[in-house]
Amino acid sequence: MTNGLMPLLQLSDSQFPSGAFSHSFGFETYIQEDVVTGTESFKQALMVFLKKQLIYNDGLACRLAYESIENGSAEDLLEIDHVLFATCVARETREGNRKMGERMAKLFMELYPSTNLSEYLSWIKEKKAYGHPSVVLAAVYHSLDISKKVAVETFLFTNLSSLVQNAVRGIPIGQTDGQRVLVDLQPIVEEAVQIIMNLSSEDLGAGSPGLEIAQMHHERLNVRLFMS
Amino acid sequence: MSETGLLNLEVKNRNSRTMIHGYYEGAFKYTRPVRLDDDSLSVYLIHVGGGYVDGDTYGSTIKLEEGAELAVTSQASTKVYKSPSKPVEQRTTIQLGAESVLEYYLDPLILYKGAKFIQETMVEMEHNSSFFYSDIITPGWSEDGSNFQYDWMRNKLKVYQNGKLVLFDHLLLEPDDELEGVLQLEGHTHVGSFIIFHPKASREFGEWLYESVIGAHPHVRIGISNMEDNGVVVRILDNRTQTMERIISHIHTFARKELLGKGEISWRKY
Repeated sequence: MTNGLMPLLQLSDSQFPSGAFSHSFGFETYIQEDVVTGTESFKQALMVFLKKQLIYNDGLACRLAYESIENGSAEDLLEIDHVLFATCVARETREGNRKMGERMAKLFMELYPSTNLSEYLSWIKEKKAYGHPSVVLAAVYHSLDISKKVAVETFLFTNLSSLVQNAVRGIPIGQTDGQRVLVDLQPIVEEAVQIIMNLSSEDLGAGSPGLEIAQMHHERLNVRLFMS
Repeated sequence: MSETGLLNLEVKNRNSRTMIHGYYEGAFKYTRPVRLDDDSLSVYLIHVGGGYVDGDTYGSTIKLEEGAELAVTSQASTKVYKSPSKPVEQRTTIQLGAESVLEYYLDPLILYKGAKFIQETMVEMEHNSSFFYSDIITPGWSEDGSNFQYDWMRNKLKVYQNGKLVLFDHLLLEPDDELEGVLQLEGHTHVGSFIIFHPKASREFGEWLYESVIGAHPHVRIGISNMEDNGVVVRILDNRTQTMERIISHIHTFARKELLGKGEISWRKY
């Protein structure tokens, strides 16, 4: 067992091949519609994405999956996987999460294998589970003895960081501006972690209608840099 | 604890006749079945009383047996008022037998100042049964003219096909500084949804539907996408109930024609 820091740095590196590089999760629609046009409008959208999307979906799922693994409850883990899939009403985003989930599960079995991850990957192969990054990473963080709170915080930050990298290419905005957005959002990430700790499984999957429409619209964009 | 309103509807097909049985209690009622122009059978749900208030609970069950067909709508909008101590809860369970068809078309839900509302609708269907669902959520009129005076609302629609969860549409609206901004209502007041599950609701169907709606309403903010297992989800943002109802009726008519081989529905409620 290594100390937790190095794996955490590795997992949250924007060059880590998670597949997030290819997905904008609806942001590309906002860029093409001139809703997101520069650093300020991007920062606002990213903040709402964190507060209304990541908290109730990927972030809460990561916490709940971590707890299911702690409790050894395979049934709960499968339920989380199914809810994440069924609450995502935009096809490309749902497919994107599924593909990223499967790809990351395979990759992490090479890098940081564990019993829980191996079991999840076999469910994906048997089509009992769909696959989702939140569940994969919860299993990985848990196997590395990273605390639940740090796991959720790292997970949220990694999500934001990859969206910033995509914004640098997609809008585009400057590298420094992108990094400044990440600095500005740090206190909100901390608040988000607190909120996630106080939510219940009843909150999982709550969506934002504007974002859902943007994610659905992405299917119909003529020129696309991203797959969702 | 007894429910504020309770309603149960069971629909059977016997010798090509549709039989409806059921009962209601408290603030819920339904009308005698009405046969529409195209021979569809329709039922109208009625709330007797001014609206939903603090701690009210409502429960409904609608069951269609094999091959049964029914169109259900409300007779007026649902109004939710102040809920200072406990949220209002409305739970609906829908069971759809093989080859049954349910069209479930709700009038606008209006949330007034201080309202807290939980709505949960659970649908259990077969691969070859059909389910159309629509709803509209709007903030109620307020004295100072500002929108979004309600506390929060949570709308959950879960659809199971042969026991497998195929859709969990989960909407949480909580008025704050960001509700009217990007990613959320984006300057609109009304959220509309239309859900279709039908064996022929393919991706091509989703495309045709999108083109048809955009052709007739080029400026509407609308998203249409597909679920696996022959589902289509439509989300609409707008500012006027009338426009929203026109768009939803356009979608309903298109889906009826393409998927059910039926004409435009003309509800008998006005």
